[in-house]
Amino acid sequence: MENFSLSRCELIQLSEDTFIVTFNERIDFEPTQFIMIETETSIVRKPFGLGRWNDRLAIGVQVIGPGTAYMVQQEKLYAHGPCGRGFVPPEGRGAVIATLACLPMVFDLQERYNCDVLIGSVDEPWIEVPFPLVVGDEAFLKMLQSLNGYDWFLVIGSDQMEKIAYDALKNKGEVFVSFNEYMACGIGACRGCAKVTKHGLKHLCIDGPVLRGEEVWN
Amino acid sequence: MELRPPIVIASGVGGMGEYLKLIDPRYIGAYTLKTITFKPRLGNPPPRLIATERYLINSIGLENIGVEKFIEELENGLYEELFRKVKVIFSFAGEDFEEYLKVAEKMAPYQDRFVAFECNFSCPNVHFNPLSDTNQLKKMLIELRKKLDVFLIAKLGIEGAFIEQVARLVEECGWNGVTVINTIRALHINGETLIKGGISGPVLKPIALRAVYEVRNRTNLYIIASGGIMNETDAQDFFKVGANAVSIGTALYRDPEIVERIAKKFL
Ligand SMILES: Cc1cc2nc3c(=O)[nH]c(=O)nc-3n(C[C@H](O)[C@H](O)[C@H](O)COP(=O)(O)OP(=O)(O)OC[C@H]3O[C@@H](n4cnc5c(N)ncnc54)[C@H](O)[C@@H]3O)c2cc1C
Ligand SMILES: Cc1cc2nc3c(=O)[nH]c(=O)nc-3n(C[C@H](O)[C@H](O)[C@H](O)COP(=O)(O)O)c2cc1C
Ligand code: FES
Repeated sequence: MENFSLSRCELIQLSEDTFIVTFNERIDFEPTQFIMIETETSIVRKPFGLGRWNDRLAIGVQVIGPGTAYMVQQEKLYAHGPCGRGFVPPEGRGAVIATLACLPMVFDLQERYNCDVLIGSVDEPWIEVPFPLVVGDEAFLKMLQSLNGYDWFLVIGSDQMEKIAYDALKNKGEVFVSFNEYMACGIGACRGCAKVTKHGLKHLCIDGPVLRGEEVWN
Repeated sequence: MELRPPIVIASGVGGMGEYLKLIDPRYIGAYTLKTITFKPRLGNPPPRLIATERYLINSIGLENIGVEKFIEELENGLYEELFRKVKVIFSFAGEDFEEYLKVAEKMAPYQDRFVAFECNFSCPNVHFNPLSDTNQLKKMLIELRKKLDVFLIAKLGIEGAFIEQVARLVEECGWNGVTVINTIRALHINGETLIKGGISGPVLKPIALRAVYEVRNRTNLYIIASGGIMNETDAQDFFKVGANAVSIGTALYRDPEIVERIAKKFL
């Protein structure tokens, strides 16, 4: 765990609102770990999943508010991390289902674990995505229904997309979900990222962000 | 109590020592632990946080493991590294007056390990406000003083009574210091969700400054200023109105390195 600054190498626009930012620095991290990034728009730092793109450290950013807008404008960012537990897949064949903003994360994951990756996007991306891609809600649902022969799934995206994917996949294999809870410290101090699970309260920044879906949902 | 630098990590904000991963301990005068209550508390249901540029509202609800488990951890050496690196302040509270005394009784054998005990009388996320019943409060202050020899600090908020009057009472009962102020009850509307909790961050600064000023004019207590201290200038302002030390809370969430920057100015 460290404080560091990150200088932007490239800004790649993936769609109307989604970007990849690559950095000149290198840091060691495990899949699904994240960093807490400072913005001028909030008094707390914001979590972003770590990944790789074009052989560099990278994050994907979906601009949904002032902090994410700030982040894609800056040449230099201040952050601490890596935070959270690295995801280690179980034995067997696995598939990762993610949104466009997670491209750097899942790219790294696939290289390490040789799992399949499927991307669901609301809009047609502006660049060629190196994974099977579906656009729109209906196509996403169909894709989920067609997934068979996997032992485990990892779902990374918005709360809504994750719940839909969990419901569609829960009887087909073990489903892991990267949960999104509001965070302030990212290191287990503030107790703000508590998630109620069947095994008691978990704190996503230290016990997660990935939990088994069945721990949280039926 | 001599703190060098005169900088305290605020209770709850710094958890149980986690920020030592990100802050050099030389720059921390004392590290206040998250408030421990008599019984374990699960805290409030999520969502527990919402932040803007000017404030954070938290509804943690004093989630903690309870005093018995804390003592077990203390005895098992879980906090050895923390004690080795920094001075530690123990923060405690109860869900009624009786529970404050029970925590103090259980912790009395361990008081030498801490530089001070801070009694949290002002959490806005629980339903008991000890400051609203001055007679009971006085009795408890006297009882707690009898049970503990340690440097004793009352953490006071501005809800329930005029803070300088409570601080006078705290001094009369033989206590050593006050932490002024805590978060204040607030509400944030996020779409359809109402988030109720305690507000912290820059919006608190003028309120906390006034509180420190009033308490300094009425008492000789050791004052730890808490509320919206985000940088060196804020810290300076609190020293100007009579604080003996400043507490860094929400500022840690924006940039943990702020502690080092403030410390270098006041070492
Ligand atoms: C573990 C984790 C990893 C994440 N990884 C990515 C990622 O790789 N790429 C990406 O685009 N987004 C990621 N997010 C979400 C991202 O943190 C939010 O979209 C971002 O904080 C929004 O900030 P804003 O100022 O633009 O929006 P705001 O207008 O401030 O908020 C919009 C919404 O974003 C969420 N949010 C805001 N602040 C926080 C916070 N401090 N902690 C958690 N959620 C918050 C809330 O749901 C809020 O309603 C991740 C979230 C978590 C919990
Ligand atoms: C997430 C969070 C948790 C807190 N928990 C506690 C607590 O357990 N005990 C306590 O006395 N104060 C608690 N506080 C209050 C802080 O210690 C501090 O007094 C307050 O936040 C005002 O200072 P600030 O503006 O510098 O944050 C908490 C504050 C926050 C933001
Ligand atoms: S974000 Fe602070 S405990 Fe998880």
